[in-house]
Formats: sequence, C-alpha cells, structure tokens
Amino acid sequence: MMISGGGGGGGKSSWSSSTSSWVPTTSVSASGKRIQREMVELNNDPPPDCSAGPKGDNLYHWIATIIGTPETPYQGGIFFLDIKFPIDYPFKPPEVVFKTRIYHCNVDPDGRVSMGILKDDWSPALTITKVLLEVRSIMTNPDPYNAVVPGIAHLYSGDRAKHDDIAAEWTVRFAK
Amino acid sequence: MDSEDDMHDANDVESLDDDFYSGETEDAPMDYYSDYDDEADDYFDDADDSDRVESRRPEQNFTILRELDIRQRQEDDIARVAAVLSIPRVSASILLRHYNWSVSKVHDAWFADEDQVRKTVGLLEKPVFQNSNTRELTCGICFEMYPRARVESAACGHPYCYSCWAGYIGTSINDGPGCLVLRCPDPSCGAAVGQDMINLLASDEDKEKYDRYLLRSYIEDNKKTKWCPAPGCEYAVTFDAGSGNYDVSCLCSYSFCWNCTEEAHRPVDCGTVSKWILKNSAESENMNWILANSKPCPKCKRPIEKNQGCMHMTCTPPCKFEFCWLCLGAWSDHGERTGGFYACNRYEAAKQEGVYDETERRREMAKNSLERYTHYYERWASNQSSRQKALADLHQMQTVHIEKLSDTQCQPESQLKFITEAWLQIVECRRVLKWTYSYGYYLPEHEHAKKQFFEYLQGEAESGLERLHQCAEKELQLFLNADGPSKEFNDFRTKLAGLTSVTRNYFENLVRALENGLADVDSNGAASSKATSSKNAAGSSKGRGGRGKATIRTISSRMTDDNHWSCEHCTYANVKSATTCQMCNQQRR
Repeated sequence: MMISGGGGGGGKSSWSSSTSSWVPTTSVSASGKRIQREMVELNNDPPPDCSAGPKGDNLYHWIATIIGTPETPYQGGIFFLDIKFPIDYPFKPPEVVFKTRIYHCNVDPDGRVSMGILKDDWSPALTITKVLLEVRSIMTNPDPYNAVVPGIAHLYSGDRAKHDDIAAEWTVRFAK
Repeated sequence: MDSEDDMHDANDVESLDDDFYSGETEDAPMDYYSDYDDEADDYFDDADDSDRVESRRPEQNFTILRELDIRQRQEDDIARVAAVLSIPRVSASILLRHYNWSVSKVHDAWFADEDQVRKTVGLLEKPVFQNSNTRELTCGICFEMYPRARVESAACGHPYCYSCWAGYIGTSINDGPGCLVLRCPDPSCGAAVGQDMINLLASDEDKEKYDRYLLRSYIEDNKKTKWCPAPGCEYAVTFDAGSGNYDVSCLCSYSFCWNCTEEAHRPVDCGTVSKWILKNSAESENMNWILANSKPCPKCKRPIEKNQGCMHMTCTPPCKFEFCWLCLGAWSDHGERTGGFYACNRYEAAKQEGVYDETERRREMAKNSLERYTHYYERWASNQSSRQKALADLHQMQTVHIEKLSDTQCQPESQLKFITEAWLQIVECRRVLKWTYSYGYYLPEHEHAKKQFFEYLQGEAESGLERLHQCAEKELQLFLNADGPSKEFNDFRTKLAGLTSVTRNYFENLVRALENGLADVDSNGAASSKATSSKNAAGSSKGRGGRGKATIRTISSRMTDDNHWSCEHCTYANVKSATTCQMCNQQRR
C-alpha cells in the first residue's frame, strides 16, 4: 500500500509526472529539506512491505504502513504508524507510534515503539527508511531484553506458541 | 598548593587555624590553666599566642582550587599524557575524559593494550572511509553535494557539511555533558569527535558550554576532587584521604564534610546526618515522592524516574549505566538465571527477606515518635540559629567592637585576642552541640547506659557553653558601653579565657566520646574509670577527624605547680586559697 502526500511548509508543490517524485517549489528549512529528500527516496525505492508519506500538507507529520511479514503472527495485517518529526530533525529522532493495536513486547499500550535507534542510539545519518526496516525487523524478532510490556515478553520467552496465538488473534481483530 | 594566607583569611571564622579539637601531643601539653593574674602579659604575648595556635594546627589534607588552578591542572594532565604517549593534545583529552582524568589509569590501559584502548575510546589511526578524489562530496546527513572545502570529517573520514556538523554538535551540547563523549554521526562508526572539531565547527556559545562541561568533568568525574557545595561558590577542593578527617574549609569560609558534602558535622557520622537532614527537610513531601517514584543510579547515584514500562534502565549520559529497576543490579547480570530479563526473582527473594521494607519501617517509626523528634529538632534548630547569631556577633566583634574596646580600655588589640578566641570557640561549640542532638535522636533507646553517659556529657558541655556565651555576650557589653578603662576588665579577661578553655575541655571530651561510639561505657551500664578520667582530659591527642582512642590525662598531670585545685564539677583550675570554685561556685571537696 503506497501513501503519497502533499508538500510541506504551506508552500505550493507539484508532482513531476516524468519522475513521479515530489518537487518543492518553495524554500524550506534544513530539516524540511532533509524530510523532502527522504520522501523522494522512499517513493523511488520503498522498503519491502512498507510505505510512508506526509499526512495532509504537514511535512513534519507522516503516516506509514507496514504489512505484517509472512510466517509471523502479524502476517496479513496492515499496521498504520504515526511518524512525527521534531523541528530539529535529523539531530533528534522522530516519534513513531503504532495507530493499529499490536500485541508486541516492544510496543507499549499507547503504541509507542521502544527501540534503541529511536532513543539513545539515534544518529542523524539514519533515515525513515532505516527506521521502518528496524520496526519491521522487531516485528519479526521481538526483543524481550528491552521489553516495555513485561507480561508479553514473559509469555514470548516462556510459551512462544501461546504468545503467537494471541498476537495472531490481535492481528485479525485490529489489523485486517 | 595555595599559601596559608590564601587558604585561610584572617577573618575566616571557620578557618582551620581555629581547629578546636585538634589535640596537643602528650609531649607538649598546652597549659590552659596558667595563673592569668600573674602571667597575663606572657599569655597574651603575640609570639606565644601564635606558637600556641601553631601547636594545634592539623596537617591539611586538602587543597582549594580556583578556576584558574583547575584549568592549569587539567592542562598539565593533558600535556603529560600527550607527551608520554606521543599523541595529539586533543586525543589525550579524550583519553583522560574516558578514564575519569586519572593519568595513571590512562598509562596503564594504553601500555597494556593500545589497540583496544583506541578502539574503545574512538581514536582511529587511519580513516575507515576513503574519500574519493572527486571535487564534491555528499554530506551523510543532509545528502546534499558540497565542495571538499565545505566538508569536514573526524578521524574516520565520514564526510559531513559544516552546517550539519554545527547542528549535530549544537544539539549534543544542549543535551548536556554527554557531548564530551561525542562520536561520528555514522551509526556504525565509533570515531571520537574531539575539542578541535568543536572549536572549528560550533558556535561561540556552544564552544563556551563545551568548555564549561569539560572543566566540570575534571572535577566531577575525578574521585579526588569535588566542588564546594556552598551556594554560589565556584571553588573546588582536592582531597587526600588518609587521616580519617573529612572536614574541609573552603576559601568562601564554608566548612563541609568531604565525604557527604553536607556542612561540617563532626563528631556525628555521615549516615546519621543524612537521615537527620532528610527528616528535617521542609521538602519532605517531595523527598517522599522521590523515594517512592525514583531510585538512585547504582553507579552515579543520581535519582532516576521510571517513566516507561521496561525494567531495563539506562542512566543518562555520560554515565549510561544499565541496571534493573527492581533490584538495582547490573543489567548484564540478568537473564534466565534471574527469572528472565523482565521478571527479577532476585528482587522477589530480597523483598521476602524484608530488605526493601527498611525505608518504610523507618518512616513509620518517625511518624510514631513525633514528640521525641520535636524535642531533638527544636534544640538542633535553636543551636543552629544561636550559631548564626554568634557568627554575626563574631564578625561585629572583629570589625567594630575590638577597635572600640581597645580605645576605651587602653589596651592594644593584640591583648584582646582572648575575646575573638572565645567567640570562635562559641561558634564551633554551637556547631558540635547542634549535631549532638541528631546523634541523640538516633541513639538506640535500649542502650540506657550509653544514653545516660551521652546526656551527661552533652549536658555538661551545654551548660559550659551557655556560661561562656552568656559571659561573652552580656558581660562584655558592660565594657563596650563603658566610657573609660575599667578595673574589672582584667578579672573579666581571666574569667572569659578560663571559661573558653573549660568549655573547650568539655567539648573535647564530648567529641572524643562520640567518635569512640561512647565505648567508655561498659556492658554493665556504668561508666568505666577511663570514662571518668576522660571527663577531666585537657585535649585529645588526635587530629580533628581522627577516629583513634585519645590519650587521656587527668587534670593533675597538667598542673605545673601545686598552687591550684581542679573543680570536679567544671574542671576550672582555682587558686589554692579559694574554697569555692570561681567558675561554678561549687564547694571544694
């Protein structure tokens, strides 16, 4: 599923038909420029089973989708995520929140994703593409070592089959 | 080290020169009880007086550092490491910062395994990223193309434009002292970003902040140095452990305990003081909240609030210690052995053993003994305010009254030192007495003999101090208001000097007893003969903070002639002809 969005900063913008990439027609801040570049990159070379783009005309607020990876309890589910870029992006990490409920030890009840690269391990050289790939990676391989929901982590380590059943049930209920 | 003049100003009321409980040695006992009437001139002779003070000046085990001194020491350490290891100054600075400014640790680690140290700290010998010879390079952050002249990289070679470097460095500096361990922005690269890059690329404001963090790091990360905790004071103190004496006097005239950085509290131990201060805190509700909702990082002791569900806590940079919220153990020790990463059975076991109930139990006990607490607190607080008043009076005495008194009594100021000495003694005794109330509060109820002995010593010391304070405050006023010389002034001098030395004796006994943990009380509950004789001891043979047993001498061993008798009640040395004590009016026995 591909989401394409409008321009940022309230300025006019247009889609170039030949390259199918977004071309800004007004100057924006350094962070805005960087976000625009990432959007172009995402459109040109989207990561597998992922897509992302601005929500409306706010360049700093994106919506992303991740399709549940096959052979995981999340397979077939479509998970929507909210991505908010801080004004000093990329020197501060974006905030990534699952809007679709998911049974996962690294996602808190409010949907906030707990990942090293979104906290202490953030680097300005990282991009949203890499962030989405990392989110997809923890959906395949949860990290009970850094769990934000200890109960789910406990079940994941102690009774994997039961954990996967509940996760699959949640996927059917909330993500399809 | 600073000179003695620098270290202790003449008006520094808490100067170490006036260290009242540093005892004279057995070989050279101080004769506090000379016949003041006959030997007044000798006693107050300048040279004698300075010798007397010198004889009880302790060995100073600390140095006060101004900002210039700190910078100089920091520069010296960096230069030394750079010279010995043959590395640039910037690299030496990064190394020292990593090893908490310990030159010896840097040397040991470097010569043990240079490659490992370089890898850990991020000092690369050659670039990992080879820039092609193209005229333009792509910035790894904004992904724009720039001419080589507008691109900079750390030792690793990863290219970033000037504005991205400035943004990266600026954000890091504004985030706090973690900027001192800044690495290349590339996620897979650990190359250190040194002060040369900061100076080249950061704004003036950021450079200044970084410089402050580096200076602070030299004090705060170094085990041997601390900032003076007095509000607004910018001096640091370097301390050489060894004597067991933790009292430090800063140039700002604030005295504090090196061990816990609270105000000087000898003879009470740091644990008692911290419990007492917590109890007295006007912000006790805040403290309760902090206790309930945060825990100290096991490594750097800063309180950490848990604001997410995970038990895996990581302290803020530069500490970054990873630990378990439940048991405060290192996270690396957790795993299947402790019940999994998310459930810590160490904590459960410890909880069942009651390890974590102690704080709660103590708090309950405190609530139940409010009356008892109020008794001790009121006396603690009133001695605190008396001390503040005495400090003000001392200052007034030194700046105004001494000169006036010198004029009215036609005496040189050098002969009025006994008044300043009395006030210094009052200030110090108020401090000691104040802390004995916190000691008394935490003295176990069931140790009746110790409690009795403590209250006896405290009572004697307090009544002695009250007599001295009364004399210095009220009786001195008569002479201050007098129009001309007074015949009674010499008697007043004798009385005040006598009371000063008597009070000093009482407090020496009290301090010594508390530092020995009231060990002079035997198990049957009676004070041993040692304790009885200690009541009359002239002075401790140990330094101010010494913890060893003092050599105890009875009053008779201090007598230089047979013309005096010692009052059993207040230890004052009376002339032989007197039948009642001139100090406390007790009958001679």
